[in-house]
Amino acid sequence: MKPQPLIDSALLEKLERLAIRWQKSFPGLVGGHNISHFAGSGQEFLDHRQFHHGDDLRAVNWRAYLRLEKLFLKMFQVEPRIPVRILLDCSNSMTTGAVSKFDYARKLAAALCYVGLVRLDTICIQPFGSHLGDSFLCGGGRHRFIPAVNFLQDLKPSGRTDYFQIAREFISTYPQRGLLMIISDFLDDSGCERPLQYLSDFGHELVLVQVWAGEDREPSWEGQLDLTDAETGEKLEIGFDDASRRNYVEAFDAYSRDIQKVGLRNGGRYVGISTDTTIEDAIFGPLAQFGGLE
Amino acid sequence: MFLFNLTLPEFLAILGSLSGVVVALYLLDRSRKHHTVSTLRFFAATEKPPVLKHRRKLQQPWSLLLQLISLLLLLLAIAQLRIGSPARYSRDHVLILDVSPWMAARLGPNRLIDQARSAARSYVNALPLADRVMVVRAGVLATPALLFESDRKKILIAIDQTQPGAASLDLESALDFARRAQRIQAQRPGEIVFIGAARIPSEESARLDPPANFRFVPIAGPTEHVGLRKMTVHRATDDSDIWEVFLAVKNYGTAPHSVPAAVSFGGSPVATHRFDLAPGAEESFSFRFRTRARGWLEARLPSPETFRQDSHAILELPSRGVVPVTVYSAEPDLLRPVFTAIPGIQASFLPPTKYDPKTRGGIVLFDRFAPPSLPATDSIWLEPPSDKSPIPVANIEPAAKLNQWQADHPLGAGLRARDIELINAEIFRPAPGDITVARSSAGPLIVARSGQMKTVVLGFHPIRSGLKYQLTSPLLFANIVRWMSPDAFRSWELTAGAAGTVDVELETETDPAAVRVQTEDGRPLPFTIEGKALRFFSADPGIVRVLTGDRELVYSLTLPQPGDSVWQPSNVKLGLPGRAPLGPASRDIWQWLALAGAAGLIADWILYGRIDRRMRAAKSAPSPESSWRKAS
Repeated sequence: MKPQPLIDSALLEKLERLAIRWQKSFPGLVGGHNISHFAGSGQEFLDHRQFHHGDDLRAVNWRAYLRLEKLFLKMFQVEPRIPVRILLDCSNSMTTGAVSKFDYARKLAAALCYVGLVRLDTICIQPFGSHLGDSFLCGGGRHRFIPAVNFLQDLKPSGRTDYFQIAREFISTYPQRGLLMIISDFLDDSGCERPLQYLSDFGHELVLVQVWAGEDREPSWEGQLDLTDAETGEKLEIGFDDASRRNYVEAFDAYSRDIQKVGLRNGGRYVGISTDTTIEDAIFGPLAQFGGLE
Repeated sequence: MFLFNLTLPEFLAILGSLSGVVVALYLLDRSRKHHTVSTLRFFAATEKPPVLKHRRKLQQPWSLLLQLISLLLLLLAIAQLRIGSPARYSRDHVLILDVSPWMAARLGPNRLIDQARSAARSYVNALPLADRVMVVRAGVLATPALLFESDRKKILIAIDQTQPGAASLDLESALDFARRAQRIQAQRPGEIVFIGAARIPSEESARLDPPANFRFVPIAGPTEHVGLRKMTVHRATDDSDIWEVFLAVKNYGTAPHSVPAAVSFGGSPVATHRFDLAPGAEESFSFRFRTRARGWLEARLPSPETFRQDSHAILELPSRGVVPVTVYSAEPDLLRPVFTAIPGIQASFLPPTKYDPKTRGGIVLFDRFAPPSLPATDSIWLEPPSDKSPIPVANIEPAAKLNQWQADHPLGAGLRARDIELINAEIFRPAPGDITVARSSAGPLIVARSGQMKTVVLGFHPIRSGLKYQLTSPLLFANIVRWMSPDAFRSWELTAGAAGTVDVELETETDPAAVRVQTEDGRPLPFTIEGKALRFFSADPGIVRVLTGDRELVYSLTLPQPGDSVWQPSNVKLGLPGRAPLGPASRDIWQWLALAGAAGLIADWILYGRIDRRMRAAKSAPSPESSWRKAS
């Protein structure tokens, strides 16, 4: 049976009008606000893409227009670049929920990857659990998207999350500062506020994308529950009722607010997305509004 | 309460089992559920102690109680629980209506059957509406007009369509039928009610044993009545032109009566007689009258206003048959005495020269000659020419001696003459199927051949031989004529009686294959023969003919013959029940029970079931917009 693609072509076409924006200026050829993706004439031609409203008319391939009566935009390669790093949570906690958070996170990562590739950004997909996994670096146009998708589809969730360890490994592995998009549920028993602050203090611009399932935020169960932690295997017997549910929701929201504070106070951004939201709505909704896409 | 005919313990056992299943399902539904979650940190933050050391088995006792109550209500609905007294459950009654001919009698302006129908309607209206009634019409047979039915409209229609019959009442059979019907078909036997005049034979009245649940609603009829019981007519044995008439009259009343009876034939009176009858007495009167004509014989009593059906009886007398016999003989004086001595024939004597082959009907006799062409009717041949005999002549015996008769055949019946010397007698060679009536030691002397044209051939002349002075000669010819034309010699017996079972006394033991019992239109009736007794049954009035060889018995089943006594049982419920129903004996409430049970289950599902959890989850679930957390 042919595996279902992470993102369908219709959505990919819509994603072409987006671009990843960051706020900080990082050392490198591309300055802050990501406004110099196209260096102008004289750069090496890289690819064509469909013309969209607002594009620079000087980059239109008029020869192609005369032949095909369609507007195509010439794109030129600019390098070296500061890669956009996508940290993808592959721990076991991402496997819970009626809709798998892991699949949802992979789709989000693939969409962000495509947006970056179309804009000729360099994308580094870095899966993590208790440690950083093998990363995937791609750039140079949309034709590099397929290997990225294959990489994402080959990922398997395993292990538990240890954000302290991840932060340490990340800083040592990637000394160059840049935009860091973390897609995770941020459900680490030991907390992830301090490791995130640590990454931010190091100079990375954080875009925190918190993905949760419905029962992560508000479990619908009632009565006597035997609960098992998906990562640690720890068990808990509990009586759960409406009051408990209210307390649970309040605790979850408080934790999410703490993460949000961490992301915002250091010039970063935070987006919380439920898996009940479709990928398209998530991309063009909260991510486009508050998550660094435009 | 009906639940597949379960008793109360069985019902409770089923209820207990189902309740156990419900409790098990409840405990299973409310049992501890296992879930794998992303983290336990937020569960630990709940205010309630997360772990219950002493877990309650019944987390929602009201839910369980609601389910059990709903289940009980549904079971009671299936069991068709009714409100009302157990003693007032619907019962099945058998209503027997008297349809004997006596129910056509009038007492005042109404017939007895009208009163009976009115009483039946009153009885049905007095029953609880849920009771079922079977309507049985009791005559000589008990015929169900309606099986157990609670629809009052159908019951009243069956009652209103009841009419008096032609046969007398057989109450014993009707009661047996009602008992069997209640035993086999009734769910809860009610009463067996008989409504009628109950005129039955006194011997039946003595042996009747009504059942314990019997109710008798008597319909009083006329107390004084005199009627014909029977009229029988048959030919006199000494003179076939004379009819012997027998008339029987009965006084059904309690006072003596003097009643004149008049008998007329073809409208002309032939006899009158006055019967002086004591109460309950039956007297008869016989007389003879002569006629050869065909006509209606009518016996009539003074016609009362109350009941006229048995005040007159009519029988159709047949004319006496005459068989024409044509004798072709050169010496007619020899045979003239023989044929004039046989009653019922009309003989004519012609010379052989006047033979007419076109003669049809009757019998022709050829005296020592053979016609040029065979006749088209039955024929008797006396000493025919050897070469033209219808039965081949084997030889001529110069001195034959007649020494044997076929006595078991009608042709040889009653013939005894033996050792008769016959000179030059013809000895025949009969074919298979021919009947040898008389034979000598040399061979057959008289041979008969049956078929469409019957033929009898005599090898000698009876009058010119030794039989001349024997009685055998006229008897032989009489036998031949009777064999050839049996209808003309058939004896008639006509009886006016009542419909029902009729017993006929036969003269001899008769082969059933030779007996026919048929109605006026020729439809055969079933009958039985035991020895000399023949029995048939006809419930409808009309004429039934019994034909046994040369005897024909005609039964005019038109006289009603009511019973000679009025049955007055003791120790039974009499009259109509006094209390009219106020309403249904018990009322169905299963619909309400079913609704209540269903409502209980729905309420439990809404209040405690999964729908409540889903609704609460949906109510508190964040909308997509609320899940987006705006960056500040």
